[in-house]
Amino acid sequence: MIELNGITKVYRTGSQSLEALRGISLGIGKGEFVSVMGPSGSGKSTLMNIVGCLDTPTAGEYVLDGENVAGLTFDELAAVRNRKIGFVFQNFNLLPYATAWENVELPMLFDGKNAKKRRERVTELLNAVGLLDWRDHRPTELSGGQQQRIALARALANDPPILLADEPTGNLDSKSGEEIMAILTELWQGGRTIVMVTHNDHIAACSERIIRLFDGQVVA
Amino acid sequence: MNATLPRFFWSEYRKRHKRAALITFALFWGTLSILLLMAFGQGMSTQFQVAFKGLGETLIMVYGGQTSLPFEGLPKGRPIALYPEDIDYLKDRIPEILRIAPESYNFLPVSANGKEINRTVHGTTAEFGVMRTQVPQLGGRFLNAADAAEGRKVAFIGWKVATDLFGSADAVGKTIVIARVPFTVVGVLQKKIQDSMYNGPDAEQVYLPFHSYQQIDNRRRINQIHIQPREDSQSKLIESRVKTLLGRKYRFDPDDRYATSFWNTIDDAKEGMAIFKGIEIFLSIIGALTLLIGAVGVTNLMYAAAKERTKEIGIKLAIGARRRTIIAQFFLETVFVFTKGTFWGFITAFNIVHLIRLAPINYDSFGIEAYLLRPEFSLRILVIYVVVLGVLCFLSGIFPALRASRANPIESLRYE
Repeated sequence: MIELNGITKVYRTGSQSLEALRGISLGIGKGEFVSVMGPSGSGKSTLMNIVGCLDTPTAGEYVLDGENVAGLTFDELAAVRNRKIGFVFQNFNLLPYATAWENVELPMLFDGKNAKKRRERVTELLNAVGLLDWRDHRPTELSGGQQQRIALARALANDPPILLADEPTGNLDSKSGEEIMAILTELWQGGRTIVMVTHNDHIAACSERIIRLFDGQVVA
Repeated sequence: MNATLPRFFWSEYRKRHKRAALITFALFWGTLSILLLMAFGQGMSTQFQVAFKGLGETLIMVYGGQTSLPFEGLPKGRPIALYPEDIDYLKDRIPEILRIAPESYNFLPVSANGKEINRTVHGTTAEFGVMRTQVPQLGGRFLNAADAAEGRKVAFIGWKVATDLFGSADAVGKTIVIARVPFTVVGVLQKKIQDSMYNGPDAEQVYLPFHSYQQIDNRRRINQIHIQPREDSQSKLIESRVKTLLGRKYRFDPDDRYATSFWNTIDDAKEGMAIFKGIEIFLSIIGALTLLIGAVGVTNLMYAAAKERTKEIGIKLAIGARRRTIIAQFFLETVFVFTKGTFWGFITAFNIVHLIRLAPINYDSFGIEAYLLRPEFSLRILVIYVVVLGVLCFLSGIFPALRASRANPIESLRYE
């Protein structure tokens, strides 16, 4: 599902250059649940950004679901993010002025799905995360756990094969965190590929495999 | 398109409505300025034409003079006068002439109703009425061919003459005495604005049939000849033919600039129109510059919006928004801000123009108000306005929209 070959990312600021990723090669199979761990500055976020098609590598090859995404344009990458990848962020990143319903609907709007399909899918997803009754509430009127569940529903809107979760429980109390992990586990059991960044060994234990990064390289 | 994106836009817009209010006002003011200035420019232009037509439309006036060049053994300095028979002489020989009329005049005492006033009294023919826009008030008429044929003692008088002699009473049918000869008034001139004249405005003149006039003023020569060409473009040709023909008849050099003189209103009208067009363009540019200030405000607002929404743009990009979606959103907002500001400006300008047009014009002391109180709208003004507005709207929206759409999703997501 995800194949990285010799991925290098170098950040340049003026004369300084920082090598965030040094020739990373790894593969993640379809339906795998993988955790990415490592100390701050080890390149976790950079790796996630590249895997999530938010950023492009300086060198190396990235094949996502059989498609080499290295040479795609900005809008082509946007389409890939829209259809193949669902994002779950540590700080939820919901649109503050949009209702729960609208936040979930948004990726489908960008994909040009018709109103009927959108309505059915949003209803289905809000039901699945148990927040259908909260559909007209804005993010500020929801608890952190509820917001993250809305974010999860949004990530699944276009039914992407891959879910990328960046510290999904980092801003949540333990109970809400457990709820989120339960949903992620369920999704993985349903056949979805999940890549999760975390600092928390307990959380990482939910996954099948742990990739450890140090200084921009895979150490285990 | 669907209802959600416009609603998002509205939510985002509302957050800035106080700042937007000032910009809305700037757009309102700019629209008001450009529309009013263009309406006044066009109104002045129209009034200039109306006032110019007060004298007459496409008119060439021919006067006698004095030779300044020796010709065929004759010395210079000979006076050249025009005579009634020149009318047929010219008309028969110049096919480009549509209408031609003689005119003689003298300052004479005019009395009626126990009052006596001194006015310029003219002798002319029916064609003069058409050429010199002598439109009669209801119930009256100008001089006609039968008046001339039957030698009737009738008169057509200006509205001021009518008021001076008869007050508010109807002058038609009444008798006026000019140089001890009685004339029946057959018509009174309708009020008009007139910016070009000789011997004062037509409102103060008295017109008699040519032959009747000759009975009270025994000079044989006439003061001037009025010619209307078939086409405006023939005016110069007619001038040169008149010079040649009169030169042959009265024996002067056709190139002699002082033997005869011409007042060509066609040239005057062109010159005047060029000046008023210039004023119109100048006013439109000032108006457009005023609107530009509003547009700069919108650009500023949209740049601020692009910065404030960095995080939101990042989220949208992350979940798959294309650049054009972001651009479209910013454009929609720019168009909305523009529409809101300019709509009321448009309505206000429209009403102001129509209110001003209700103001009366004083025909008796024709002055600046005749130009200022008749602003007008036209399709042309609307088209210019819409084009200027469209260009400004596009330019003020495109740069902030492009900047917003070029955001880096990762950096935008980190933005707090």
